[in-house]
Amino acid sequence: MNAIAIMRISLLRIARDRTALFFMVLLPVLVILIIGASVRGFGTFRVGVVDLGAGNAGRQLITALAHAPNIAVMSYTTVEAADTAVARSEVNTAVVLPAGMDAAVRRGRNVQIGVIAEQTNTTQQAAATAVDAVIAKHGGTVQAAAFTTAQAGGSFDHNLALASSLAPHVARVAVQSRQADASATVLPEGFSYSAPTMLVLFVFLNALAGGAAMIETRRLGMYERMAAAPVRARTIIAGETLTYATIALLQASLIIFVGAVVFGVSWGNPLAAVVLVVVWALVGAGAGMLAGTLFRTPEQATAIGPAVGIAFGMLGGCMWPLAVVSSTMRQVGHVTPHAWAVDAWTSLLSRGGTLSTIAGPLLILAGFACAFLTLATVRLRRILA
Amino acid sequence: MAAPFVIAGNDLRQRVRDRSAIVLGVIAPLVIAALMSFAFRGTETFHYTLGVVDADRGPVAAALTQVLEDPGLRRFVSVKHLPSAAAATAAIRAKTIQAGLAIPAGFSAASTGSHPIDLQVLTSVDNSVAGTITSSIAASFAAQLNADRLSVATAGAAGIPADQAARLEAASATLRIPEQAVQRSIGAHQLKAVSYYSPAMAIFFLLFTVSFTARSFFVDRANGMIERMLAAPVRPYEILAGKALSVFVFGIVSLTIIAVVTSAAFGANWGNPAAAAALCLAMVISVVCVTALVIGVARTQRQAEGFASIAVFGLALLGGNFIFLSTSPPIMRHLALLTPNGWALRGFTDLATKGGGLGTVMVPVGAILVCSLVVGATAVLLARRALTT
Repeated sequence: MNAIAIMRISLLRIARDRTALFFMVLLPVLVILIIGASVRGFGTFRVGVVDLGAGNAGRQLITALAHAPNIAVMSYTTVEAADTAVARSEVNTAVVLPAGMDAAVRRGRNVQIGVIAEQTNTTQQAAATAVDAVIAKHGGTVQAAAFTTAQAGGSFDHNLALASSLAPHVARVAVQSRQADASATVLPEGFSYSAPTMLVLFVFLNALAGGAAMIETRRLGMYERMAAAPVRARTIIAGETLTYATIALLQASLIIFVGAVVFGVSWGNPLAAVVLVVVWALVGAGAGMLAGTLFRTPEQATAIGPAVGIAFGMLGGCMWPLAVVSSTMRQVGHVTPHAWAVDAWTSLLSRGGTLSTIAGPLLILAGFACAFLTLATVRLRRILA
Repeated sequence: MAAPFVIAGNDLRQRVRDRSAIVLGVIAPLVIAALMSFAFRGTETFHYTLGVVDADRGPVAAALTQVLEDPGLRRFVSVKHLPSAAAATAAIRAKTIQAGLAIPAGFSAASTGSHPIDLQVLTSVDNSVAGTITSSIAASFAAQLNADRLSVATAGAAGIPADQAARLEAASATLRIPEQAVQRSIGAHQLKAVSYYSPAMAIFFLLFTVSFTARSFFVDRANGMIERMLAAPVRPYEILAGKALSVFVFGIVSLTIIAVVTSAAFGANWGNPAAAAALCLAMVISVVCVTALVIGVARTQRQAEGFASIAVFGLALLGGNFIFLSTSPPIMRHLALLTPNGWALRGFTDLATKGGGLGTVMVPVGAILVCSLVVGATAVLLARRALTT
């Protein structure tokens, strides 16, 4: 009963702190929104287009680019603007449609279309390959019209219209795609990436920063006052553990609710998701209490806590998928509990995982929670003694 | 010694003793830059292995294989010949190849007949880019075959008699699609993650100075330090100048250490030293102004901590310190330009990619100074209240 009273008072103190509420409520939602909007389109090339007066042929090519799968078109008015966008990596490559392209095509001349890409930049070269395919496909109709004009006579425009009308009916060599592997090893893009990873990041981060509250309690001599009353040390420790676990659970629940309702995230198997959230809340509670007993001043907790939390988040795959880093960094990342939590969420969100499929990561996370809570309890007992 | 220098010296001494300044100003940004550098080392150049299954062994299939092994593609595609589509599927599942291309038996013979055979691309869910590129290369190759077929069909539809079909096919085989992509270089360097995130993290942790300085001001006021200073022959603005000077010195030292260490140890490209220094200087001035504004607006220590936290994380989120701004939607790139750190990161991005000197960063530096002027002027208007209430 005393433990619940300690928890209630601690929670009240935190609820009155508007800064803490900003970090617990508003910031995670904003970060999910911003990272969710940014982490998407891994399989899509961003292609800039500059039309210098290419006419109808140019407009047709722009439409073909816009309809190509895995190409997102962005328009620029000048070549300089497109150059800058390529240099800044805002687009992977840019296509410059020359002035008079339409007239040149009608006269049966070859047209050279500028593609801005650095030879040494493999991502830009890969994007240029995707653009080449669209240009080649578009040029096929022009080739047929020019060939027909040379062989059978008639106007180019008439033969171009004829070729365009025949194109859908002439048997062609198509390129069929088939997915060879059944399930993903990374989280889906967009908010389904940002919501679970930010849940992992912020529950841990806030718990670490929350260590400052425990230091304040120590500074104010509140533990000594509690110890003077007929309250046992283990009751105080239980109260603090309950406080941190409750905060972590509340924050995780909020992120899950906002993720599902506002950002349309499907959190996978409900039972497995609940167990994962509870275990992660215990990891966070342990880390927060450990921070509260390790740091000497609130300044240290608010300075070192976020730095450690962000570094662990980066190592553990919260800022970028661990699939994109080297295998050594993937192994190093799994020293942090974050990587195991992200692995478990990946299983639930990308592969339809259940409680049994995430049992391994859950056991490891439970081990982290036990280790953190035991260390924190030992240190808090020393402080209380 | 003038009062502002004494106040600044005292502030800096306190923060160094607490170690939080060293953690935030030097250790944290360096650790994160190191993590970035190690995480992305060797992964910033795109490359994948393509499994090719040639069940046709005809001349058209040989031409396609030759295209795939072209030196121009070799920079990002390595070809591995496999015996069957099943072997390619197994290799994708085992992650030894990232995409596959199966050329079915009879492909060459059917390419000019009435029933052409399709090419098969095998993709991986974890590497959709490899699948996209393979499909693009195959589609570019097929585009010429299809253009030739369409040319013959159109000529036939335009009135060339059917008995001349063989002649048309032979003539079309020499055609080349009249629209060609010609690559042009702009001489820009690739923007490496470490070159973007080194200044991004340095600036992010520099922003924490707002929180620490505002907090220290209100702690001093609560302890009666400000009143005691005002009782001495010290003008109110000298106290604020002292606080500003401590932020300025801390910021310059922190950014300089991070720039030097990340350049030397992790290969971060901060660009031309004079231009990078101008950006750092402008950024530190803007942090001084934001700090002054927080002190001016807040009435209590709690309020100052709250406003500072919102300012720090609001600026970092909008300005692009957490995300790679270039790949963000255009609206976020526009929003970033409402913040001084967003302008600073644009300047550092241009220095790392386009190069150049002071001219490259003139606009970003100007924009940061304008932001600082507006924030600073508001802060000065509010400063007297903070010092006297």
